[in-house]
Amino acid sequence: MARKMLVDEEMSQTNQEEAHYDFDLFVIGAGSGGVRAARFSANFGAKVGICELPFHPISSEVIGGVGGTCVIRGCVPKKILVYGAVFGGELEDARNYGWELNEKLNFNWKKLLHKKTDEIIRLNGIYKRLLSNAGVKLFEGEGKIVGPNEVEVTQLDGTKLSYSAKHILIATGSRAHRPPIPGQELGITSDEALSLEDLPKRAVIFGGGYIAVEFASIWRGLGADVDLFFRRELPLRGFDDEMRAVVARNLEARGINLHAQTNLTELIKTDNGIKVITDHGVELEADVVLFATGRLPNSKRLNLEAVGVELDNTGAVKVDEYSRTNIPSIWAVGDVTNRMNLTPVALMEGTCFAKTVFGGDSSKPDYSNIPCAVFSIPPLSVVGLSEEQAIEKANSDVLVFTSTFNPMKNTISGRQEKTVMKLVVDSETDKVLGASMCGPDAPEIMQGIAVALKCGATKAQFDSTVGIHPSAAEEFVTMRSVSRRVAVRGKPKTNL
Amino acid sequence: MATTFTAPKLSSPTFQTLCRNLPVFTPLPNPLSSSSRHRHHYRLHLQQQRRNLSVVRAESENGSELLRHYDFDLFTIGAGSGGVRASRFAANFGASVAVCELPFSTISSETTGGVGGTCVLRGCVPKKLMVYASKYSHEFDESNGFGWKYDTEPKHDWSTLMANKNAELHRLTGIYKNILGNAGVTLIEGRGKVVDPHTVDVDGKLYTARHILISVGGRPFIPDIPGSEYAIDSDAALDLPSKPEKVAIVGGGYIALEFAGIFKGLQSEVHLFIRQKKVLRGFDEEIRDFVGEQMSLRGIKFHIEESPLAIVKSADGSLSLKTNKGTIEGFSHIMFATGRRPNTKNLGLESVGVKMNKNGAIEVDEYSRTTVPSIWAVGDVTDRINLTPVALMEGGALAKTLFQNEPTKPDYRAVPSAVFSQPPIGQVGLTEEQAIKEYGDIDVYTANFRPLKATLSGLPDRVLMKLIVCAKTDKVLGLHMCGDDSAEITQGFAVAIKAGLTKADFDATVGIHPTSAEEFVTMRTPTRKIRQGPEAEGKTGNEAKAAAGV
Repeated sequence: MARKMLVDEEMSQTNQEEAHYDFDLFVIGAGSGGVRAARFSANFGAKVGICELPFHPISSEVIGGVGGTCVIRGCVPKKILVYGAVFGGELEDARNYGWELNEKLNFNWKKLLHKKTDEIIRLNGIYKRLLSNAGVKLFEGEGKIVGPNEVEVTQLDGTKLSYSAKHILIATGSRAHRPPIPGQELGITSDEALSLEDLPKRAVIFGGGYIAVEFASIWRGLGADVDLFFRRELPLRGFDDEMRAVVARNLEARGINLHAQTNLTELIKTDNGIKVITDHGVELEADVVLFATGRLPNSKRLNLEAVGVELDNTGAVKVDEYSRTNIPSIWAVGDVTNRMNLTPVALMEGTCFAKTVFGGDSSKPDYSNIPCAVFSIPPLSVVGLSEEQAIEKANSDVLVFTSTFNPMKNTISGRQEKTVMKLVVDSETDKVLGASMCGPDAPEIMQGIAVALKCGATKAQFDSTVGIHPSAAEEFVTMRSVSRRVAVRGKPKTNL
Repeated sequence: MATTFTAPKLSSPTFQTLCRNLPVFTPLPNPLSSSSRHRHHYRLHLQQQRRNLSVVRAESENGSELLRHYDFDLFTIGAGSGGVRASRFAANFGASVAVCELPFSTISSETTGGVGGTCVLRGCVPKKLMVYASKYSHEFDESNGFGWKYDTEPKHDWSTLMANKNAELHRLTGIYKNILGNAGVTLIEGRGKVVDPHTVDVDGKLYTARHILISVGGRPFIPDIPGSEYAIDSDAALDLPSKPEKVAIVGGGYIALEFAGIFKGLQSEVHLFIRQKKVLRGFDEEIRDFVGEQMSLRGIKFHIEESPLAIVKSADGSLSLKTNKGTIEGFSHIMFATGRRPNTKNLGLESVGVKMNKNGAIEVDEYSRTTVPSIWAVGDVTDRINLTPVALMEGGALAKTLFQNEPTKPDYRAVPSAVFSQPPIGQVGLTEEQAIKEYGDIDVYTANFRPLKATLSGLPDRVLMKLIVCAKTDKVLGLHMCGDDSAEITQGFAVAIKAGLTKADFDATVGIHPTSAEEFVTMRTPTRKIRQGPEAEGKTGNEAKAAAGV
């Protein structure tokens, strides 16, 4: 048990080494962050246990599954459905390329759903194998914290197991929540939306975040009538305003009805579906109402109060820069900490945790220039600052380069949809502060751009890169003239 | 043709003074820090340039030269990517510019061309449009796995595609003409010929110019074998009147692969004949193997180490291809994708003393200047790196050099490129083989995986990604990918590689999930470490260099 302890408080507990624990690390929750932390810790030589709720596509207090949200109820099944839905538009586009297709195309939702479920079951198995290959002991059941070094796992048959652990990692993720409106029980969340028995003909979505936008695109692409309601003027709060407008325009052009600044106030069961009532007095009927109004950390049933782990007012576990809670032996990573709720970020947090605690290498996750994508159709992807954030933070003028163009594919397909790209540059340092793109392949294109931004690439370095022709991505290295210069006026310069 | 005679003309003498000395003061690119096979090329050019220096000096020192009146500051022969770029930018810098171009036709010849050039009319653009069209058959197959069903198999109507494609080409050639017009460039239709270092003849009319730019590009080349008159080249292949039922493609380069994918996707039977064991000579070996396998899986029939000897036309009109291994019959079309040659014939170049290499490519120095000081050349006619964006770079650099007092050399380091085969390839920087040669000790990271889309579609599609890292400096020397979206994915990484970023920089970047591209930032363990000797790990810089020289 010669593991390096880096954290000062523990170094001082000299007899720690002698204390006997069942595990060096016990992880509650085998999603992206938990599995990563468990595997890497085990690779560093730690003895690791992990517990996870039984598998099911729809999560609840007592249902989960190895792989977590990303694999079972998030990124993966969502992307599969997006792939399926993209074909809707693709097939329309094929006609002008000379392809003769039946007027009415058949889409079999049950087949897609079935194959999606097969795939996530396969991935669930792979994750389990990853854990066992790394020597991590997996327990199926609900984990609770009993003491700073004590966990209890309630197994499926009700029997309880108790283990001591030198470190406990909370990686229980989050779950979709529903707004408290009358009839809310008639609506569904993204969990159910990924596993619906039938494809809705008329879908209502409430929410303006990425989940709302993605499901709108999925259902529309598969042929449903979709109405999207959101509170703000534009969907995707927090993203670059110009890009938000582009996404809104594209969604509408693809046939989704947008209802900005509108709340749902009540759902009523009818003979033919669900009657949806809004605060604008609009009434419409739908087969499915999806609440994509946010997610809440899964921190309720962990018994955290008992040991005094602090939560913030949304229920997220509070942690320091190393993902440590206020209890030195208890740590937390991933969505349960509500920092940046993305799979690759949970992976980064899990890796840093393992390095810090078991790898002899004190590591803080770095949240700068994290790229992300919204898999709407077409998708949006961004890295770095939005124009608004750049102006807010800038000490010198901000240069904005934009390119709006008709993608080559559309010249023949006739699809009326522009791709928009944007670079935000610091006029003094020439550093590229942010990049965004809305158009086909945006997430794939943005990854490389993210490497460049992460390392402080300048606009001159972008310009000196030769384009790949003909691609959409080459626009990022051929933006010659500045679209606008935003002066940082009225912003008091600091005395530093 | 008296256009504005202002700033640029005043500044160009200054520049000439600057320029004549430049080749002497400009250091060679550092062979260790920069990459690519073109460097050797360069050294050659430079030596030639040194020899030519006396010529430059003699002319520049002749003061009367500066006072002479010309019709134009720049006369460009050839309005393709490089010529249009150089002309527009020169005009934007205030120069008076004319460009001449042959009349429009989808098939190029001594007498036909068209504004836009190869890229727009007979290359990148129509090719990519055909790739889009042909990719659908794979997408139909994929879509089955995602629940889509076709009551009747999708059929392709060739004439719809050709009509829509040609409408788009006409639109683009119009746009290019407008771009030139808006920039104030005079467009002359006809065949330009150099008469003397400052005079161009276009169909009998003479124009004088301070500088002449040759940017006439290249054309497909078909080897002279019996029956070669029955073969088509890529120009014709992009504009066939009807679908080829069974097509033979001779060649293993990117054009051959792209057309193999196009025709296969548009439901032709495709046979690919390559001289060597593998396709895509010059590319990373692993990529060469991988793309060959993937294309075979999609139904393209490979005939390796099989060279064409003759084409025979049968009575029924079908074609037979006789090779060193036998004869294959029943082709509706035989396409040769056996290389391209610079369009330097009958341009009057020999008579004015513009030197060409044995392939007919114009020899230029690092600033794209030929052996005649007032004559310059950019793009495929110089046979440096024959890519549109490189021609654009060369054209842009030339305009700056000539008319903005800013001598600019095109930078050929880390030029990314793509092959729009199906699946496509993207690459930037060195291949594994080049990296070993140049750096000796390298780490190779590979990922060969079945993408999420393929697990659902059930098709045997895979993706190969590869990073080549310098063991000593941690710099990423090369990146290669074959699989969906390779071309789009590679561009951003090209920025990172051009900026000289390290593997650690890649690792520090968070992935975008779920994408294919994220694999490039999540490659944790090297697939292999290549070291030049058993004690390689602790090698000093000198030893490493010595090894690299082997």
